Amino acid sequence: MSPVAGHGWRDRLAERWRRRRVSPLEAPLRQRRLFLLPTRFGMGWVVLVFLLLLVGTNYQNSLAHGLAFWLFAVGVVGLLRAWRNLLGLRLRLRLPREVFAGGRARLGVILEARRDRSALMLQAADSVARVDVRGGRGEVELALPTPRRGWMTAPRLRLDSTWPLGLVRVVAWIEPDTGWLVWPRPLEEDAPSRHGHTPGLEPRDFAGLRPFMPGDRPTRLAWKSWSRTGVLTTKVFDAPPRGALWLDYDADVGDPEQRLSRLCGRVLALHRAGERFGLRLPGVVLAPGVGAAHRRAALDALARFEAVPPEGGGP
Amino acid sequence: MRRHSGTCSTVLTDNRRLDGAMLRRLFIGQCLVLALHLAYLPAWLAGLALGVAGYRVVQRRRHLPRASLLLRLAAVGGLVVGLRAQYGTLGSMEGLIGLLLGVYLLKLLETHDRRDARVLVMIGLVAVAVAFLHDQGLLMAAGALVAVAWLVQSLIWLAGAATLRQAWGETAWLLGLSAPLMALLFLGMPRLGPLWAMPQLDRAATGLTDTIAPGDVAELSRSDARAFRARFLGPVPSPAQRYWRVYTLSHFDGIRWSRVTPEEQAATLGVPPARVARSGRRSPWAGEAQSRFEAELLLEPDSRPWRPSLGTPLTVDEPQRFLSDATLEGRAPLESRALLVLTSSGISPTYPGAVPLTWHTLLPRDGNPRTRALARRLWRESGADPERYLRAVLARFGQAPYRYTLSPPRLTGTDRMDAFLFDSRAGYCTHYASATAMLARLAGIPARVVAGFLGGERHPEGHFTVRDYDAHAWVEVWRHGAWRRLDPTAAIAPERIEQGPQAVAGSEAFLADAPFSPLRWRELGWANQLRLGWERLEYRWQRGVVGYQDEARRTLVAELVRRLEGLLDLLAARLPGQGALSPFLGLLGALVLALGGTRLARRGRRYLRVRGDERMLIRELQAWLARRGLGARPGESPAAHLRRIVPQAGRAGQALEACARDLERLAYAPVEDAERRERQRHLRRSVGEVRRHLPRRPVGR
Repeated sequence: MSPVAGHGWRDRLAERWRRRRVSPLEAPLRQRRLFLLPTRFGMGWVVLVFLLLLVGTNYQNSLAHGLAFWLFAVGVVGLLRAWRNLLGLRLRLRLPREVFAGGRARLGVILEARRDRSALMLQAADSVARVDVRGGRGEVELALPTPRRGWMTAPRLRLDSTWPLGLVRVVAWIEPDTGWLVWPRPLEEDAPSRHGHTPGLEPRDFAGLRPFMPGDRPTRLAWKSWSRTGVLTTKVFDAPPRGALWLDYDADVGDPEQRLSRLCGRVLALHRAGERFGLRLPGVVLAPGVGAAHRRAALDALARFEAVPPEGGGP
Repeated sequence: MRRHSGTCSTVLTDNRRLDGAMLRRLFIGQCLVLALHLAYLPAWLAGLALGVAGYRVVQRRRHLPRASLLLRLAAVGGLVVGLRAQYGTLGSMEGLIGLLLGVYLLKLLETHDRRDARVLVMIGLVAVAVAFLHDQGLLMAAGALVAVAWLVQSLIWLAGAATLRQAWGETAWLLGLSAPLMALLFLGMPRLGPLWAMPQLDRAATGLTDTIAPGDVAELSRSDARAFRARFLGPVPSPAQRYWRVYTLSHFDGIRWSRVTPEEQAATLGVPPARVARSGRRSPWAGEAQSRFEAELLLEPDSRPWRPSLGTPLTVDEPQRFLSDATLEGRAPLESRALLVLTSSGISPTYPGAVPLTWHTLLPRDGNPRTRALARRLWRESGADPERYLRAVLARFGQAPYRYTLSPPRLTGTDRMDAFLFDSRAGYCTHYASATAMLARLAGIPARVVAGFLGGERHPEGHFTVRDYDAHAWVEVWRHGAWRRLDPTAAIAPERIEQGPQAVAGSEAFLADAPFSPLRWRELGWANQLRLGWERLEYRWQRGVVGYQDEARRTLVAELVRRLEGLLDLLAARLPGQGALSPFLGLLGALVLALGGTRLARRGRRYLRVRGDERMLIRELQAWLARRGLGARPGESPAAHLRRIVPQAGRAGQALEACARDLERLAYAPVEDAERRERQRHLRRSVGEVRRHLPRRPVGR
């Protein structure tokens, strides 16, 4: 990205307007960032008031006058209450945890306010949800499309409401300056390749003693040591080191995204199977490991990976 | 949960279908609006409403397709045909109102999404306003309040209310908060006159007819409709003085007495119309007549512009037509209730009028031979003395077998006066007045019948209600240069004069057409109390709210201004007059002012100092940067923050560096005051530079 200097005044104006209208996250919505737009029904309401005023005037009818004045007053109060419905609202995000390309990110939006708020419509990208704030808090989830892997900045949120009468629409735009990683679309393979299968995974080599914990198998207790020292300990055995399972970007062929998708699928499958694996990408090497943190690190690496253009034909 | 998702769907887009609950709400709103009109419009409109609602129910239950265009067109066509059959034309006001109501009801057929529903509610609000053209009474206003509240509530459901509590709570807030503003506008907004002519409602000709004939049915005594109400601003007339003149009937054709309108008079006499009727606020005929009664009249709408007056009308507050027979006419029929302040003499006019007196002695050449013979005999017996003659006529009515009854035998034929005077000998005021006037004319005494009202019910708080059954007829004869009132009914039934028509025995025809009138139970104490209380409330409503027009508004504003000025004058008069108090008050005022001034000055100085403070400057700069996506990280010091974003700041990088340096120097180094000021100035300049030069999008990411 580069500064937009040199672009037309139109862009600059648009950018200025964008800055003027968006509100930051987690700060109460301010009066200057709330926009009141009349709806078609609101304009119809104005016509209605004029019509009733005409009836009142032409027939010299006091109660028709009164009704016209009342509808006008109701409109004014409705306008104020519509504006108050959004004023001072605070938004927080609950970022999606696991997002794969081609799916949908479930972005949680938490709205907080002291007063109750009604019939708020929250919109981001193509996803719309209704939320009410009751007892100081309201929560809603937006399902955002994630077409590509990589860093995804949170989209601009549009918060609007026509509460209470539908005469005006109050709109606020909120631009979160945050985002999340989108992992590649996982491509499942029928048989995850498994190099060097090692039979007998029973731990065999004695590795030491550790204090007894309830639940330890009685056969593993170091009875001899207990009789000597009076301290109950458990014998610990090491599992034999398994053959390091390496997932290698360069070992595959084809479109980089395809390769990443296959790697992603394999990472998921291996994690499910509880196996150790390492990941080798051009420029990134992840030592073999196991567990949820390892899986996340591997998937993050896949998501962040930027394919270098193939040099001189390449594989 | 299902309910919640249902209401969500009405919020999401305009094109979603409304659910059953919403349609039910709209239908109830229609019923409430229709209820306001039902007393004035054909009852089959209620059937129409039910039919449309039933159709929608069946359609939703069986998942039938929407009402086709053909069906909708047929429905509108049926409505138009029905209204034409009812009123003969669609151009009349009733026809137009019926059309509006019908369209409002039929619109439910094609109400499918939120937009339709809102249009429906708007038509409903117009229909509520139109209902006020029928009537502006207290009951109508209360009904309209309910209907409007319901319509507003359905708008809130349409905007996405999820629970009953939410919808009604918001309705209460909206209506409650808007009420004071409404009251202010109602009281303060200038009112304009009618901008253009509109079709008007046909008002039934209530009250008096301008022709009477002995033997006709006593229509008026059968009705308890209100004719007008009056409040006296000065002395209140005694019962025997409450003769409200409305019309004079000076033409007699042998059967009936009828009124000659000013236009007819002018045409017959060949004089300009201004000779017989003139508009103005002051009677051009009465001269120096003394005013005795000043009354504020609350008039009911009527198709004819008659105005009652106690005796001769003298002055009015709004221009009216004064006729030469000392009656009063409005310049146009009343469309709604109106107030009129009138002063009058309380006695019959003392001027003959534009019409020559001989006009009042005209009679048909023949007919009623027995009456003529009677007149000749009485005239002879009274020795050709008009006074004795008239006394003899009244005395004759005061004796048996003449009796007063509201249901006399019906008389037909051409010699009705003979039939009454010699055969049936029973009747009410009309009979006796007609006969007396004819007998007077037979003796050459100028006489005319006056139609009007006598009496009225006095309410505890002072105003009078005059009803149709208070209608009365009497006679005026020209004697000694003035018209004199002559009431034959007083001779035959004096209790009618003192206590009203219900006091007259044998009045089975009294209120014959109003079997459920509360007036039938005036003997019952609590029922009468209740009725009087309601009427008092209604009277206040009509005077205060409905009668509130531009005149009243100007009076109110003027009154407010006057009161305010009075208050100011009072203050001005009180303060210096208190001697020792005033310097003390002055001192106190000065002290308060001085204190306020110093506080204000201190706040202003603090504000300036804070603004100049480097921490404030930097905090503002950081917030400004945060809005551009360059905010500080948690736990980052301001200087570190500014230095970190230098690579992304492009041309502003240098200025950011300078800011960070100045900030650190000011914060941590022991600096002299002079240097501090210099640094602060520098910092301010750098901050400005950052703001000017920061690229619109951060460089790199």
